[in-house]
Amino acid sequence: MAVACFYYDFASPEAQSPTNMLGSLLKQLLPVPGAIPVEIGQRFWGHKKVIGGRKLQLPDIVKMFTSLSPLRRTFICVDALDECVPKHLLEVLDALGQILRRSPNTRMFMTGRPHILGAVERKLGGRTASVPIKPRDDDIVTYLRARLSKDTTPEVMNSGLENDIMNSVHEEVSETYVEVGAR
Amino acid sequence: MSRAFTDNINSFNVSNNFILTAADDESKTLAWLSPLEPQVRHQDICEQRVDGVGDWLLETKEFRNWYNGNEHGGCDHTVLFCYGDPGVGKSYIRYKMIKEGQTKVIIADNR
Repeated sequence: MAVACFYYDFASPEAQSPTNMLGSLLKQLLPVPGAIPVEIGQRFWGHKKVIGGRKLQLPDIVKMFTSLSPLRRTFICVDALDECVPKHLLEVLDALGQILRRSPNTRMFMTGRPHILGAVERKLGGRTASVPIKPRDDDIVTYLRARLSKDTTPEVMNSGLENDIMNSVHEEVSETYVEVGAR
Repeated sequence: MSRAFTDNINSFNVSNNFILTAADDESKTLAWLSPLEPQVRHQDICEQRVDGVGDWLLETKEFRNWYNGNEHGGCDHTVLFCYGDPGVGKSYIRYKMIKEGQTKVIIADNR
């Protein structure tokens, strides 16, 4: 099995172009360390022969994905799709859809804010299942306990203060979610 | 093998599908594919993640059908989209999914 991941970030819109994004997924999926698939090597040396080198194009990358081991189970994870600049988003979703059509053992896991759901469903159609992510009570308690266990000033902590923190943060998070959810 | 590739004296074919390259050529090829290294961000997420948070997702019907394929013959969803407002933990749940997938592979290999 192979896993590749990519994290979108508002701070790097130009560096995270569609070719750079898909190229970074592709290089994480190369199956043999120290060896390059023939399809990719041929394209690399072919591009080098052009004076100044030719820039990698999106259709080239899509073709190279399909040259990887087609029987291998592959998971591609893309985080914060909503942080992809809008002019690139549809292009990236199109390319990911083409990869899915040509690679039947590939599955994709994506995250993003709710307003992206429509674009994902339009571009990837009936292939998509969606799940809303909400803070759950037990998750909040587990997370708070883990953070408190790493407190750098444990000498000022006591059970009363710990309970106050647990209760007030928990209530605050729940109220925030109710307000957001009610919009 | 193509003419373009045999021109490169630092590479040679190791199978029908792969070409072994000198380390320098390999790094140039990888840099040509993309200058980005998302593994750095991934490492940060792994270190900050709290065990147990978000495990509920793995028990949902949507996750199971996506991960295993639809075992009941319905529509096969090859994309799982998890959506939520900022700060609800989407990135960390994604990491949990990756970890879960790798664990299952290790178990399968030991049988």
